Amino acid sequence: MHPSGPNINKNAQVSAFYIFFVIHSMQIGAGIMGIPQILFIQAKGSAWISVLLTGILLHLTVFIMVKLLQQYENADLFMIQKKLFGKWISLLLGTIYLSYLFLVVSSIILTYIEVVQVYIFPDIPNYQLSFLLIALAVYAINGGFRVAVGTSFIFFFVSSFMMLLLIKPITLIEWVHYLPIIQAPLRDILMGAYQTSYTVIGLEILLFIYPFIINKRKIAVAAHSAVFYTTFILFFVTFVSIGYFSGPQLENQIWPTLSMFKIVTSPIIERFDFLAVAFWIFIILPNIILFTWLISYGAKRLYHVKQKHALYVLAFLLYLVVSIVYDRTMIRNLSTSAGNIGFYIVFVYPWILYLLIVIKKKMQQLKGRNTP
Amino acid sequence: MWKRKKNRPHFPCSIEVLHNQFKSALHDSPDLEMVTYTIGRKQVAIFYISYQINKKELHKHILSTIVQLPSQHAHYQHLLNTIPIAGRSYEALTPIIKSLLQGHCCVYIEHDDQALTYAISEVKQRSVDKAENESLIYGPQLSFTESLETNLNIVQWRLNTGDLEADKLMVGERIPTEVRVVYLKSLANEENVQTVTQRINDLVIDDVIDTSVLAQLIEDKSTSMFPQSLQTELPDRLCYEIKKGRIGILLDKSPHVLIVPISIFNLLESTEDVYMRWNMGTFLRILRIIATILSILLTPAYVAALTYHYEVIPSSLLVSLGQSRSNVPFPPLIEALLLELVIELLREAGVRLPTKVGQTMGIVGGIVLGQAAVQAGFTSNILIIIIALSALGSFTAPNYMMGTAIRIIRFPTIIMAGLWGFIGIFAACAFFIIHLLRLSSLGRPYLEPIYPFILKDVNNNFFRLPWNKNNTRPLASQPKDSFRFSSLKAKEKKDIDE
Repeated sequence: MHPSGPNINKNAQVSAFYIFFVIHSMQIGAGIMGIPQILFIQAKGSAWISVLLTGILLHLTVFIMVKLLQQYENADLFMIQKKLFGKWISLLLGTIYLSYLFLVVSSIILTYIEVVQVYIFPDIPNYQLSFLLIALAVYAINGGFRVAVGTSFIFFFVSSFMMLLLIKPITLIEWVHYLPIIQAPLRDILMGAYQTSYTVIGLEILLFIYPFIINKRKIAVAAHSAVFYTTFILFFVTFVSIGYFSGPQLENQIWPTLSMFKIVTSPIIERFDFLAVAFWIFIILPNIILFTWLISYGAKRLYHVKQKHALYVLAFLLYLVVSIVYDRTMIRNLSTSAGNIGFYIVFVYPWILYLLIVIKKKMQQLKGRNTP
Repeated sequence: MWKRKKNRPHFPCSIEVLHNQFKSALHDSPDLEMVTYTIGRKQVAIFYISYQINKKELHKHILSTIVQLPSQHAHYQHLLNTIPIAGRSYEALTPIIKSLLQGHCCVYIEHDDQALTYAISEVKQRSVDKAENESLIYGPQLSFTESLETNLNIVQWRLNTGDLEADKLMVGERIPTEVRVVYLKSLANEENVQTVTQRINDLVIDDVIDTSVLAQLIEDKSTSMFPQSLQTELPDRLCYEIKKGRIGILLDKSPHVLIVPISIFNLLESTEDVYMRWNMGTFLRILRIIATILSILLTPAYVAALTYHYEVIPSSLLVSLGQSRSNVPFPPLIEALLLELVIELLREAGVRLPTKVGQTMGIVGGIVLGQAAVQAGFTSNILIIIIALSALGSFTAPNYMMGTAIRIIRFPTIIMAGLWGFIGIFAACAFFIIHLLRLSSLGRPYLEPIYPFILKDVNNNFFRLPWNKNNTRPLASQPKDSFRFSSLKAKEKKDIDE
């Protein structure tokens, strides 16, 4: 009567190597476009320290997640919850988790659509662009987990050239902007680290895809290097924007990362920011695909429905929500609340789970001793 | 009842009876010929279908022997021993009729127990020729022909080892056609061979016209635009792939062979890359991949930039673009679609016309039409350059099927560019990538070795490293033995002037 991990078809399994790309592309999405501004308002020129602090938090979280998963042979979050809390509470917790993921994915789509509306097409209605994105996601997820992972792997390489666009801004950095090193009180820097959390949620997928991994031993390396690389990119972008923009300028840039692409020119292409916004689809899509896959798979595990049906219902709901929301403040509220909930769900919840498991094991040991 | 009657031995019988039976079996065919001789007291009859046999052989070997037969030896055993062609004796009528249709002749001595058949068929077919569609500069020029026997002969000659297997299968219910699954037993993955065999055996179909049809029938996903098996007319290509552990499928009456399993990058490589020096080969391969990507993206980029994103174009270029487009009455989307259609028409007309007219066609169409279209203000000359470039790019694909796929997927991309600008283009690209990710060839992922990522395959089969470093077979085709040779010993590194 013990709940067990899911039996995964061998064809759907991937090696731990790809977990790097999965976690990294889950983490890097719409958030990185705007994070330097948010951080700068909070922590001024020391914002990069906040990013490094977030990096430490990420590594700690990955550490506890791996620890948590290694308690069982083939575990995922649903199974662990079931073991700890029983059927009904775990069902409730799972539903909360899925609705949180739903909130995240809709805020990702909305943020991207907003960027497109501001930069390229002021008149494009939400329902067109979201249809494009969601239809692509559904098509990919229909191919199974391997295809979802494949998109994150290939789009990672397709989009990694965008880093090269930052070379020009780097040459224009004012080094005075970094001085003095501590420009804000410690509390603000910590708050900055807290606010970065919205950008880097996504590593919770590790708790769900553990059964999909062939060589489970190597998962720690892959996950740690993924969050390391994410931290590096966030740090890089924040650091360059602090140096490139002057303080008041940066405070007024809603998407500093995109604004930095503006000065990059080439003989054939004059404005890279236009291209970059369109190209961002390659960064946003794996995000949407993996999150949507996660929700549909979660629904399958939780409610024992067919993943296909769950996917279609989910896609319809997502399309509905995304098409209705149009207001900028609504989007901001949505993403902030997703970030706030996300902080507790992603960074705090695993510790609680681990603690409970350890306590439970101790209790069982004691019981075992009492009744020989 | 009926069947048993047919298989019952018919012999001994008289010549008349046998003749009548043949006639009724062949529906009174006017081509059934009968020649009779009298030896001693016995009559000997020779039956054949006139257009199916080689008459020279009939006269030289069979008739002359029969005429010289001493009368006391009028027995089929004796004939078997004297006629200098391998014959077969039959007791039943059905196999004899079958072999008559295949171009054998039947010899029967009156009231004998058995009849003899001799294979003297003559099939009209072209001789082995130079490859025309997949021509190479270096390397063997031989190409396959329509005859399965010839093709097998060529393959056996190129891969002269007992290891070569050529499993025989039949496909088609009404008109059975022979299929050969060719592979090296020590290399090819057994599971793959079994899958191929099973897929061919499972086919319930009237008849198969050509390997390209067979390919579509046994493919993993028949709805896709992209070919999931490699079709080639070059024996050296087939043998090169077989030596990597892949499987070849030969079909009778078809000059093309199939190679499975493949990845999309196999469709973009030519055996010539292998014959060229390694750096040239690598250059050519990368060139082709870039050409493919450009071919898909160039025209849509023009449409997107001119419809929505003027800002992306540098001002100096924008001026000349604006000038050339100032007289054009259509939006860029219509303009591009029109011109793409013209190019497709030219290509199609060029293919269908005889070679001599085809060349004139190309010149008339390409130069005259293009020039006139610009002067009439139908299109801008920059678009003509772009379209010509992307057409060229699609023709670099060594596989014609792949080139066609590239040209066709350009149309939806252009429409997407017209609808949503760059976002449309990138969404279309994302769709193609996801589609390619979902495809498989014989169960192997279509994008190997990129996804799943196999470093060794990327080194040696995506790029082309020097031969002494190129010592592994692609793991993607799961060969039993992945090492071709242990890597050659590196020359001792010497200092300058030592």
